[in-house]
Amino acid sequence: MRNYQLTLFSITLMCVAGAAASQQPAGDKPPPVTATGYSAAVSKAVNLCSTCHGPYGVSVSPEFPNLAAQRPGYLAAQLKNFQEHTRAETAAHDFMWGIAGPLDNETIAGLAKYYSEQKPAPPHPGNPALIAKGRAIFDKGFPDRGILACATCHGSDAQGNLDFPRLAGQNATYVVRQLEAIQSATRAAPVMHGIVQNLSPEEVVSVAEFVQSE
Amino acid sequence: MFEPIAPRVVGIPALALAFALATGFADSADAVPAFARQTGQECAACHVSWPELTPYGRYFKLTGYTIGKSAITSEGFQYLPMAVMLQGSVTNTRNNNTVDPSTNETTTVNQRNNSALFSGGSLFLASRINDYFGGFIQWTYDNLATRADGTLGGHSSLDNTDLRGAYKYAPVGAGQPEWVFGMTLNNNPTMQDPWNSTPAWGYPFTTSPLAQTPAAATIIDGTLAQQVAGLGAYALWQKTLYIEFSNYRTANVLGNIFRAGQPYNTPGGVTTLNNFNPYWRVAYTKDWGVQSIMLGTYGMVANVYPDNLDTTTPTDRYQDVAIDAQYQYITDVHTVTAQTTYIREKQKYNASYPITQATGSGYGAGPTPSNPANTLDTFKLKGSYYYERKYGATGAIFHTTGSSDAGLWGTDANGNPNTPNSSGYILELDWLARQNLRVLLQYTGYTKFDGARSNYDGNGRNASDNNTLFFDVWVAF
Repeated sequence: MRNYQLTLFSITLMCVAGAAASQQPAGDKPPPVTATGYSAAVSKAVNLCSTCHGPYGVSVSPEFPNLAAQRPGYLAAQLKNFQEHTRAETAAHDFMWGIAGPLDNETIAGLAKYYSEQKPAPPHPGNPALIAKGRAIFDKGFPDRGILACATCHGSDAQGNLDFPRLAGQNATYVVRQLEAIQSATRAAPVMHGIVQNLSPEEVVSVAEFVQSE
Repeated sequence: MFEPIAPRVVGIPALALAFALATGFADSADAVPAFARQTGQECAACHVSWPELTPYGRYFKLTGYTIGKSAITSEGFQYLPMAVMLQGSVTNTRNNNTVDPSTNETTTVNQRNNSALFSGGSLFLASRINDYFGGFIQWTYDNLATRADGTLGGHSSLDNTDLRGAYKYAPVGAGQPEWVFGMTLNNNPTMQDPWNSTPAWGYPFTTSPLAQTPAAATIIDGTLAQQVAGLGAYALWQKTLYIEFSNYRTANVLGNIFRAGQPYNTPGGVTTLNNFNPYWRVAYTKDWGVQSIMLGTYGMVANVYPDNLDTTTPTDRYQDVAIDAQYQYITDVHTVTAQTTYIREKQKYNASYPITQATGSGYGAGPTPSNPANTLDTFKLKGSYYYERKYGATGAIFHTTGSSDAGLWGTDANGNPNTPNSSGYILELDWLARQNLRVLLQYTGYTKFDGARSNYDGNGRNASDNNTLFFDVWVAF
């Protein structure tokens, strides 16, 4: 097997084996949803989270991510990571550490379920050239550079898979900021870091523009 | 009263101390003010550049300051719901001497010109009480307060105070609250407002404590601050339409707690109102993308006893009607904000004019107008740009015009009734060295001052002589 193929295989293996371990302790699953937790979660989502993440998880400002239709395991993992301060890029530190801090596990499970059930955010049309370029990167990656296709983990339609997050319809501004944070390791995501670290700024923007349009 | 804390001696060390206090604290939420401790969030969550509020910050205020955890829970003491704010500054008045041409006597305008000084500080008690009630209480020590004899001295008093209760209503299946209902008990009209276009939290957010400032201001623009108590109710519908009605009265209630530290027993020390002084506020607000706008109107009717120590006389009536607007563009990298307000005041001297006509003087220390009614209009416009919420530049203009009235404003150099007209601009540079530490350089220029561009005081002093350069270090923790 040639070197780049070996690299690609290794990355895929790590990805399938639990790339989400970078955001979630190995072996953890979203806690079970209780009626109490779900009720508390709905109240929290409606009265607090909606302020930034929008009604039903579709944000008004692209600075804040859409949560609608997000993978529940990923959502729960992020809230735990905010709570435990293991996710520490600027916005996480400034906004989400305080929000997630007081949440109990029941409410976290409830929030994950609530948002996973919401109707996905509508796609946003964008620059056709950037979208086309982003689609190519998303579908095929750069095998010669050892960059795995995003679809491998995030699904062929960017809808997410297992605990790998949904990217379809996600705000491009947010996606760019997260990819940059992962590249610079200000957001701890070792496997993602290995995959995206060599993407150029233009390629990052293209991928973000594409997923926002899905 | 207090003697000023050796202002000249501790000036530079005070500035250095303020800087050291702020930079000495880690980036943890434990090191920032009370609401940050309550929410666990950094200043940037609620503030564009404090005190200006983001949409989330406005929601935090309108929901009664209740987001976050309580200071004391069943698990014990969680955090200290208090904060401290300190300021050190240097003020330069362009022309610090005024000469009386008849006596050639020179008077110093700014007693501490070009001196690095400890300006003062505030202690905040700010916290949620439970899911429905919260409050904001500020106590301020002014190290450079002007005494009755014109000298500077320390003075301590209650500052802006706002106690709230709020309830969010969302029908089953809603994605956000349809209504936010609330009540506010506060001691400064517009202090309760969540937009930064109204006087209490409007620009400039801080100014030199030593600068010469125009004499005229509408009654809603700070004249009643910490002298009144107001109780109001408000509603926010679908985060789009805001309506509020409040009533203000003189704060001689509950042991004068809402005006603690004010000279309410001194002739002319405060403004005394009767019991019914309505205030209203209507605002339309819209968020889209990273932008938000607000278009609104507000105002109040104030019935003022001309002599603040005599509530047996008739009252003068001040009727303020204002329009305002705000625009914000907020991203992590670039932030642009703008506010404007226009206040039109009708002054009806129903008490002061007749007594002045009859006796030649007013009630006690009250006004002595030459006209039965006057108008006073103020216009303010401000625009700010911040890069990465750290480096900012602001430009603002202000313009006050009003009726000429010799009894209130004297006469000009030609013996004509003077006006209260003043106008000018403000330029400011800001550096947020840390989220809780601001270093600013502000220049205020006057094109007209108390009625004239030149020789406004009859002694040859020009409006531009009061131009002020203000350097300030402002820390909160």
